[in-house]
Parts: sequence; C-alpha cells; structure tokens
Amino acid sequence: MFSEQAAQRAHTLLSPPSANNATFARVPVATYTNSSQPFRLGERSFSRQYAHIYATRLIQMRPFLENRAQQHWGSGVGVKKLCELQPEEKCCVVGTLFKAMPLQPSILREVSEEIIPPVSAFQHNLLPQPPRSKYIHPDDELVLEDELQRIKLKGTIDVSKLVTGTVLAVFGSVRDDGKFLVEDYCFADLAPQKPAPPLDTDRFVLLVSGLGLGGGGGESLLGTQLLVDVVTGQLGDEGEQCSAAHVSRVILAGNLLSHSTQSRDSINKAKYLTKKTQAASVEAVKMLDEILLQLSASVPVDVMPGEFDPTNYTLPQQPLHPCMFPLATAYSTLQLVTNPYQATIDGVRFLGTSGQNVSDIFRYSSMEDHLEILEWTLRVRHISPTAPDTLGCYPFYKTDPFIFPECPHVYFCGNTPSFGSKIIRGPEDQTVLLVTVPDFSATQTACLVNLRSLACQPISFSGFGAEDDDLGGLGLGP
Amino acid sequence: MADQLYLENIDEFVTDQNKIVTYKWLSYTLGVHVNQAKQMLYDYVERKRKENSGAQLHVTYLVSGSLIQNGHSCHKVAVVREGKLEAVKSKLAVTASIHVYSIQKAMLKDSGPLFNTDYDILKSNLQNCSKFSAIQCAAAVPRAPAESSSSSKKFEQSHLHMSSETQANNELTTNGHGPPASKQVSQQPKGIMGMFASKAAAKTQETNKETKTEAKEVTNASAAGNKAPGKGNMMSNFFGKAAMNKFKVNLDSEQAVKEEKIVEQPTVSVTEPKLATPAGLKKSSKKAEPVKVLQKEKKRGKRVALSDDETKETENMRKKRRRIKLPESDSSEDEVFPDSPGAYEAESPSPPPPPSPPLEPVPKTEPEPPSVKSSSGENKRKRKRVLKSKTYLDGEGCIVTEKVYESESCTDSEEELNMKTSSVHRPPAMTVKKEPREERKGPKKGTAALGKANRQVSITGFFQRK
Repeated sequence: MFSEQAAQRAHTLLSPPSANNATFARVPVATYTNSSQPFRLGERSFSRQYAHIYATRLIQMRPFLENRAQQHWGSGVGVKKLCELQPEEKCCVVGTLFKAMPLQPSILREVSEEIIPPVSAFQHNLLPQPPRSKYIHPDDELVLEDELQRIKLKGTIDVSKLVTGTVLAVFGSVRDDGKFLVEDYCFADLAPQKPAPPLDTDRFVLLVSGLGLGGGGGESLLGTQLLVDVVTGQLGDEGEQCSAAHVSRVILAGNLLSHSTQSRDSINKAKYLTKKTQAASVEAVKMLDEILLQLSASVPVDVMPGEFDPTNYTLPQQPLHPCMFPLATAYSTLQLVTNPYQATIDGVRFLGTSGQNVSDIFRYSSMEDHLEILEWTLRVRHISPTAPDTLGCYPFYKTDPFIFPECPHVYFCGNTPSFGSKIIRGPEDQTVLLVTVPDFSATQTACLVNLRSLACQPISFSGFGAEDDDLGGLGLGP
Repeated sequence: MADQLYLENIDEFVTDQNKIVTYKWLSYTLGVHVNQAKQMLYDYVERKRKENSGAQLHVTYLVSGSLIQNGHSCHKVAVVREGKLEAVKSKLAVTASIHVYSIQKAMLKDSGPLFNTDYDILKSNLQNCSKFSAIQCAAAVPRAPAESSSSSKKFEQSHLHMSSETQANNELTTNGHGPPASKQVSQQPKGIMGMFASKAAAKTQETNKETKTEAKEVTNASAAGNKAPGKGNMMSNFFGKAAMNKFKVNLDSEQAVKEEKIVEQPTVSVTEPKLATPAGLKKSSKKAEPVKVLQKEKKRGKRVALSDDETKETENMRKKRRRIKLPESDSSEDEVFPDSPGAYEAESPSPPPPPSPPLEPVPKTEPEPPSVKSSSGENKRKRKRVLKSKTYLDGEGCIVTEKVYESESCTDSEEELNMKTSSVHRPPAMTVKKEPREERKGPKKGTAALGKANRQVSITGFFQRK
C-alpha cells in the first residue's frame, strides 16, 4: 500500500539541511490507450426520437440475455416474444423494463394541472413537487416491453430495486388477468474480460472527483493544494515522495466546478442587472487552470467533465474545451476526456463516470449504497439504464454506447457521498475493482488505485481549524 | 557562512517581516529543493529554541501516515499545529512522513493563511512550479506555442466548419445566406477573431453590430444574375450597412438581404448605424414591403439584446481602430470620395482626386457604389468633396438614390447605400481593394462620425426632398 511503501524510507526531514536532496523521476507511461471513442459525438442532430435507442439496446442485449437464460434455466427453455405467449405456459421473455412511478416528476402533469385547475379539492399535484431524494413509491409497477408489445409484471420480482431501461430476461408464465407472473429473472451479468498483464512494480492511479472550485469553501482549497503537493512530490518525506513518483496518472472524475457556479441569475434576473456581472464559473475555471497546470507539469492528467462543469448536459458529456485552460494546455500531459471515460492504463482497463448515472439510479431505486448501485450497473451490463428516461442522453440510433462491450478491471464513479471499494467476481472469473470516488469538496478524500494488486486506498487531507479537535477533523477522534 | 545565511534569512522573514514562512515559500524564495527547505526550517526552529527558549515561534507540521478506518487502511495527510503533533502521531498506525510545514510568529487560528501564502508564491512562479519539487516528469514538456495555437485553431476550425455547415443547413427561412456564410467562414483568418467575422457574416440579418460604429463597410457579395433587378433594387434598398471586414474584425453587419447573396459594396462611411438605418429604412420602406421594414425594426430590437461580449469586443475594436486612425483623419473632413468607381478601383491607396462634376454621370451609369472607405487615401486630400445623395428615376422605373461626390462643404451627406445590384464585377475588385484600404476605414469612420454629428439634420432633409 502507499503508506507502507512510503514509510519504508528513513525520515530525513527533521534534521539539518543536507547537501544532496533526492529527486525522483516519475514513472514513465508504459502503455496508455484512450478507448473513449464511442462516447465522442461529432455532429449532433436532435431531430430523432428516443425510441431508437431503446430498440437498439434491446437488439444488442438480446443475445447476451438468451445465453444467460439458458445457463440459468437450462438449455431447453423457450425464449419467446411477447406476441407468442401462450397462457399458462412457462417460458422466458427478454425485454426492457419500464417502471411506472406516480411520483416521477412529469412536466406534462405539472403544466396541465396548472392551466386547468382540478375541481377536486383532494388533488395532490397542484404544485410542482419539491425535489426529493427518492421517487419510489409502494405503488410502482413494472412493465416489460419488447419490440412489439408490453406486459405488466408481478410475482417474485423486486419492483422497488429495478429501474426503467434495464434489459432483463424473466421466466414465468402469463396469467388470465393478462399479467406475467414472474418466477425468476436474470440479467446479462458481466461481460467477458481480457486478463490484465501482470506488473512488476507498484503503479498508482489517483482518482479524485468533486473538487468543487468556486464554491467558496476555504477548507477544501487547502485540501486541494495538499493533494496537488503530494502528487507533485512537494509534500512529505522522501519515502512518500518516492511513492508519489509511482503515481502514473491522475483522473479527475467530474464536478471540478462547484454547483454554486451554475448561478441561474442571468436567466431569472433582468438583463440590466446582470449585464456587467461575470459568471461565477470564470473565476473557478481560472483556479482550475492553475491547479491543472501544477498537476500536468508533473503527471499525466485526465480531466472528465461532470454535472456542474461547462460542457453539454446530456450523456455522453463531451470533453471540456482546451481554450478554457490556456496555461495547462501547454503541457501534453493534460488530456481532456469524455464522461463516461474508458482507457487502458498500463494494461489495466479503466471505465468510469462522473456519477450522474449512479445518482440517477439512486433516485429511482430503493438501493441505498452507491457501491451497490455501481455493482448493479455492471451486472446489468449497462452503464446507465435510466438514460434517456430520467437522465439526459443523446438520441443514439445505431448503437447504444453505454452497453459494456467487455468488462473493465477498474470500474469507478465519481461524486459519491463516501468512499467505497470492493472487488467482485463474475461468472467467468472476471475480477473487477469497484471504486466509488467521494466528493472531494465535502470529504477531502481521494482514491489511490494500485494497478499491480488492484487494491484501492483512500487518501485524505486536512488542515486544522479553529476548533480544538484536530483529531476529529482527521477522523481520528474517539 | 553560507550555511548560516539561510538561518538569518528565515530569522528575518519570521521575526522582522512577520511573514508566514511555509516550506514551499522558502523553497521558491531561496531557490532550493523543497526537502532542503523543510530541513532548513527545522534547523532554524531547533537553533532558535536552543538559544532562546522563550522564542515566539509557532510551528506547524505535516504528518502523514496510515490509519485503519472503516475496515480499510486510509492514508492521511494532515497539517497540524505543534501541540497536536504527538497526539496525531500516536493515532497513526504507520507514520510515513513528518516535517515542518511552516513557521510563523503568531498563533494561527486555522490553516487558511497557510494556503494563502502558498497560493501567492505559486501564482508568481506558475511557469516553473515543479522546479524544486522532488519529482520530475519527463513527459511533461510544455508544447511550443506555435504548436499549441495551431492545435487550438484546428479545434476551432473543425467546430466552425461543423457550425457553419449546420447553419447552412438551417438557412431556409432565416437568413438566406448559406453559401456566402460558409464561404466567408472558410475564408476566415484564424482564431476567435475569425470566428467573430464569420458569425457576423452569417448573421448579417441581425443588426448585431452596434450603434457606435463609426464607419461601416458593406460587403455584399452580389448575386449577379440571380436577382431580378427590380427585386434587387428593393432588396438592396432595404439592405442596411453590414460591415464585413475580413481582416479587421470590425463587425458592423446590419440587416441582411433576404436573398442568398449579399451584395458586396463598399459603402459611404457611415458614422452611426442608428442614423444610417433609419435613412436606409425609410428608403426601403418606399420600395420594399412593409414586412421588411418590420423585420428591420425587429432586427434593431435584436441588436439591443446583443451579447455584451460581442458589443464590448466590437466596440473596443472599433474604438481601437478609431484611436489608430484618428490622427490620420484629422486632416480630412467628411466623406470625400472618388467620383468614379473605375478610378477608385484602379487606384492605389493614395490616388489623385478625380474631379467631381464630370464624373458624376459615371457613377450613375455604372453599377457602383464608390466606397466611402475606399477613398480613405483621397480623404486626406480632398476636403471639399462631399458625398451627396441624388435620387433619380432609373431606366427600370425604380427610384434610385446614389451617392455622388460634389464639391461642397460637407454638410449633407446621407448614408444611403447604393443599392444597384448590377455590380457584378465590383465585388471581386472591391474585395481586393479592401485590403489595402483597411487602414483607411479608420479615418473614414472618424470623419464620418464627425460628419454625422453635424449633419443630424440630413435625416429629415431626406423627407423634404421626397
């Protein structure tokens, strides 16, 4: 681990100055390939409907699900389309889920009830609903849709956990009431994985997300500076600096700017009031440029955009424009990449998002743990099944790029409330390290992934505040 | 001794200047390796404390190490006050490093000032921020500026092409200048300026460009055979001044022609678009349909709701231009333009002034517009030649207003554009000519501004004449 390796060298800094000070060379980039090409959009046209993305999703996932169905329920199980269903006949159906949620915010409902106020005094949808953390409700219903028909599901299927857009295979039979009674269901599970070549030295990749610049929090600024200093080898004793030299890459996973830089004043206020004011994001981007300059002068950096960053809203988010970083783009070590991001670093396949997919599923499912949701998306073999239903997405029609073509070795998502990491195994001996990268502006914690051992260690920073419990700030308190 | 020098330096910084001396600050200030700076600080603290145990010194340390938390081993890096150092150390399972972070005279309430000190010294050393660091990266080589600017240009141009294509696709109703827009986009110089120029070209319909334009140039690519002459006249009359300077980003584009091609004509130097457009507007209202007038006004409304950046930028640019050009234009008065377009075209930037009266018929027969700007060279020479508008009924039964040069004192210059669209050969010549005349536009604008200010009367004068 990073700490142990760092502690191996003798402490030299609490001593008078010595003539020679060690300088360490950063580990060179052995192999790096950026495989985010499916997430780059060229010319975009929004004239298409979103039905095409569901159609292509089903077409692409069907073969995987039929394989899994045969593995689970025997090779003799009949996989039928909904139009071919016979009553009381046990069979397997592959389709896309739709969850009908009464609490799901619907703009049509909001608008229609405002214009024509309902007569009944007990109407509860008069006002636009305040944002909730979860929109699930015991009355939610699941509907399975395939290419031609849809059918309601009932039975042993966890309605609250599943979300719209998941493609799955259900085993059961259709009943007299026209609903499908589910006895069992399965997902596409993990995709095939190529084994990673073994490494001989420890190499680390630092994952950080949610820097939240421009948010006005002074504490997090010191933390950010400490982070940069550790990575660039300024902070720490020789042992730590030597370990830091083994950090071969830094990935900034979104939300580099704080939510408060997205001030909506210019939309709401009158023009004469906002005419001369500068957008809050301008200062924040300047700060970000300086931080990126410090980092890219010392280590290759990949910058992914997030929910609050100045790029497009729909997934896949396109890279930030280099003109925003005049100082940092002078270095070729800076790479501006898409969200989601996929790359092979020193033979280890990384795939990750800035967290919008996981937080959207969190809102519409009963799953509480972000790490659990991350694992679930891997098992469903789709990065963000709720797009385009509740998460903005580009209207793809040829392919759905969010389906996992192959299984990554490290799968991460940013901007989660807390750090989490887990190693999971797949049915074909795939091994994946799942990492939920916490929001740095709130937790001052980043993640160090060791590429050789596929382990992840959180690294957190703190200063000292006015209160006496420094230990509490460090998390060392009782 | 050289060794002792740093001690004295630190002493001076801490005690005399009352600074917060962080290791990073010391490293940049003395130009030493960060580790050496840390060691220097430690040495200073030790010696000072030995000499004088009551020394007013507060020290903060950096402690890092690992700690078992929530089931996993977490690496902690913390800046702690001296008093808490032992407590924190004892909590860590493995201590990776401890070193002095900063020394200051006063007790710090929180770590904010430490950050500020580091930030300030970093700001002043941004270009070599990893010079004294313990890690050097071979791959981090700053790109040559030419390379980086070319890559950014490529990025922009690819985006521009995409945007211009989409714009061209969406043409239809709005502007009707797909091909010229794309043509102008492709002809862009480079960079953001180029983007502005192309945008302005594309948006000639919006009267984006602002009020303070001193001089405008209309670059209208004439669609020679395409327009019916009558229609062309109406269109051209309707057309305001869209300044399309390809090289100077002086964007004074005004109303766009409905038709595809924009008639490229150098215009009379117009001081203010507001004055110009009403004149143009009124003229057009005679011939064009009321709809167009309405659109013009709408466009003017649009103009007001312009993006500030663009206005500021264009204003600044215009102002800049004005500043440069004004000294030149001092000598010249108002718009003094060469009478004959032919002479104008053939001329180099400093042509001899053609005599006005005999050449008056020439403009009438030729499709013209002698450009205001173009005669910037002549401007300086001819004080007495003034631009006047003459209205007459041409062969096709359309009322045409032309600018003619008369040797008068400049009181009555109108800003009506010459909207004869038959100037096919004109545009190429004009564009060629435009380049050398770039600078002249400045003086034109200056003079035009002065002229307009005095000649406010001329707008109502237009009515009386009709």
